[in-house]
Amino acid sequence: MNHQDAVQEMAVERYLLGELTGASLDNFEEHLFECSECTADVKSGATFIDAARTELGIPRRVTAPRVESARRWTSWFTSPWILGPALAACLLVLSFQTFVLQPRMKLEVARVQTPTVLNPLVLANAGARGDSMPEIIAPEHGSFVISLDVPTTGGFSSYQCSLYAPDGSLVWQTTISPEQARDALLINVPTDKTKEGLNTFLIQGLPTGGSSSGTLEDLARYRFRVKIQK
Amino acid sequence: MNFVTFDASYVNKLRAGDAPTEQHFVTYFSELILLKLRPRLRRPEQIEDVKQETFSRALSLIRSDGGLRHAERLGPLVNSICNNVLMEQYRTSSRVEALEDEIAERLVETRPNALNMVISNDTRDLVRHILDDLNERDRSLLRAVFLEERDKDEVCTELGVDRDYLRVLLHRAKGSFRAMYSKRADDRKYH
Repeated sequence: MNHQDAVQEMAVERYLLGELTGASLDNFEEHLFECSECTADVKSGATFIDAARTELGIPRRVTAPRVESARRWTSWFTSPWILGPALAACLLVLSFQTFVLQPRMKLEVARVQTPTVLNPLVLANAGARGDSMPEIIAPEHGSFVISLDVPTTGGFSSYQCSLYAPDGSLVWQTTISPEQARDALLINVPTDKTKEGLNTFLIQGLPTGGSSSGTLEDLARYRFRVKIQK
Repeated sequence: MNFVTFDASYVNKLRAGDAPTEQHFVTYFSELILLKLRPRLRRPEQIEDVKQETFSRALSLIRSDGGLRHAERLGPLVNSICNNVLMEQYRTSSRVEALEDEIAERLVETRPNALNMVISNDTRDLVRHILDDLNERDRSLLRAVFLEERDKDEVCTELGVDRDYLRVLLHRAKGSFRAMYSKRADDRKYH
């Protein structure tokens, strides 16, 4: 018998179970004494059987079902590798909100809730006749008020007010009715919406009977300089 | 598990009386002889006698002129000597024990044998772990065969399996045990 035969015939298991007799037993034992692989296998098998004999004689202990076997896909949430960084991130966000965002918000709210006297920048006819350019010093992150007149010559169903930044880009736009245009318009402009430099306010009228997408007629163009107070 | 190769150098050391080699030789074959003799001899002292006589004759032969020409045949030589000594033991015992069978039955060794004695708690832990992973039918099968020593065919029929199933079950359990044992030995070696 060679090792291959022994493996194919499960000779080690048959030997340990006492199933080999006569010539097959002699053949295997002769091979066993010269094959270290089979020897190691038989020795470990015999050790297992002897220990199992002892263990199987002891009443089996009843144990609670193992949690590992019932692991669900959500179990990775409780993994320390995920839980640790997640808690650290939460702590960081909480600290940022408590020590940075909330004090700033409180300050903003207090500022808004405090009554203040507004000094509007009056643009009525400003720069139209070569007057000096009006200038406003706007608080950073705050707002300022512009007062302007809409030339109501009649024949317009609505008016469009557009604010352009110094680089010519449209910053803000709104449509007003003829009733609103009857009095001076007061417009509260957030400083963040404007850019430092020469800004332009353009008033355009939509002729009566024209569609909302019809041609607008330029009525007034107000220029003013914005300086941001930091 | 250490795999050994019996070559000329090994045999020469045995011939020269090298103590570590001789120790290895005795340890390696003692377990094999014990496994071989356990089902054949009733009493531990008979097993011990056969074992000692086998080693004595094997070493004498190896050290004699032209005793062992092919080193790789060392294992089969030991087996062959053991068979001869065992036959002699049978002849001697049969003369004495024929009249004492009834007494001998009562004197059969029931305590753990020499191999049992060396099973460590560590080994038992590993085996317990493997047994715990088996289903109830497989545990019952092993219990009936190894602990209760019931007839294997009867047990297999009772549990609705065949003899091949029993062999495969043993093969797998033995493989798991060997793998876990080696891993634990490696862990100890490197830590």
